[in-house]
Amino acid sequence: MKLLLKFTFLVVLFFGTWFVLLQFDWMTILKVQQIKKTTEEKLGDLFWDMFKAEQDVIRRSEIAGPIDSLVTHLCRKNGIERKKLKLHIVDNDVVNAFTLPDDHLVVFTGLIKEVETESEFVGVLGHEIAHAQNNHVMKKLMKEVGMSVLISMTNGSAGELARESLQSITSSAFDRELEREADLDAADYMMKADVDPEGLATFLYRMADDERDMPRAVFWLSSHPESRERAEAIIMYIKGKDFYKQPVLSDEAWKALKAEVEKEKE
Amino acid sequence: MDIFEGAVKPKSGFTYEPGENEAEKASNSYLMSLIAVMCGLPLPIVNLVATGFFYLGNRDGTHFVRWHCTQALISQLSLLFMNSAGFWWTIHIIFYDTEISSPYIAYMMTVLLFNFADFVATIYSAVQTRKGKHVSWWFYGELTNVLCPR
Repeated sequence: MKLLLKFTFLVVLFFGTWFVLLQFDWMTILKVQQIKKTTEEKLGDLFWDMFKAEQDVIRRSEIAGPIDSLVTHLCRKNGIERKKLKLHIVDNDVVNAFTLPDDHLVVFTGLIKEVETESEFVGVLGHEIAHAQNNHVMKKLMKEVGMSVLISMTNGSAGELARESLQSITSSAFDRELEREADLDAADYMMKADVDPEGLATFLYRMADDERDMPRAVFWLSSHPESRERAEAIIMYIKGKDFYKQPVLSDEAWKALKAEVEKEKE
Repeated sequence: MDIFEGAVKPKSGFTYEPGENEAEKASNSYLMSLIAVMCGLPLPIVNLVATGFFYLGNRDGTHFVRWHCTQALISQLSLLFMNSAGFWWTIHIIFYDTEISSPYIAYMMTVLLFNFADFVATIYSAVQTRKGKHVSWWFYGELTNVLCPR
């Protein structure tokens, strides 16, 4: 009986200590959120600086303007703060788009050339915005290298690891759950923005079909596996839902964008 | 954690001076436990396995040795539960969608405090038993008396 009382006291002491420590807001005291935010900002700048050093960034308004309009439309209709997103267009024929920490959104001209309709392009943009909104990049990095290594990267003391992490972000997939979440969020964004959500599914179907005999690099597809299953999941998700299908850009503006992108390498 | 020290405690049945060899073995059980405490926070099962192996290796030893091996073992058992919860909470934060939160930080601080208390008590016990002195911990000593009768 005495032993049982002492054991109970020990248990109460443990939970009591926890309860007392629970009365403090450790997240604020230890500035956890602030450290995470600062680290993310520094990592975003570090990765983007490393990436742009080896790429041609396009700033021409004929290309950047219409893409900015598409991103702004998606953001406005979905209550996403547009100013947070840093849109970059890169002159590269690889079919790719990705998100870097701190909401850097990178789109390759190869992707713009590959998409056949505006809704396909908006679908891919929506997918990447969803990755940014859900903080998937930082989650992936935290899993792969951990917070302490990420902080050391921002201090410039893990250069090689930073390069490897950048390579991983730009050319490999998130796990299945995160990809699925980004797909379905993108479909939601599109429906709210009156853009046909089938566009993303169509793009995934087409890429899956073309994949076998496509010799060129389609990074966005190779980094986003099981595209057929994902396309089917999107179709199932939007089935029975009401949405409008309206173009964001005029037909002329969309064709002009495609033409400008085609001209870029000439 | 309170520590009750006494060269001879009638209820524990130690009415003799342990020999050099016994004192060394009993002290080693705490040293093993000490290593377990250090490894056990990131990997809790180490707590139990290390002390468990030492206990099994010395179960045929003298009463003094067995008694201290048992006390070291059961003190690790309670750490195993609290460390395991902290371990899996951390795994969920690293690999799943769980966010770092104030309750998590408070829990890890509590676990650290208890591990530190155990660490200090273990070092003290290792030193004292090496001198041949008997050290009975609050609660754990009495539980050991029940589990390890003469």
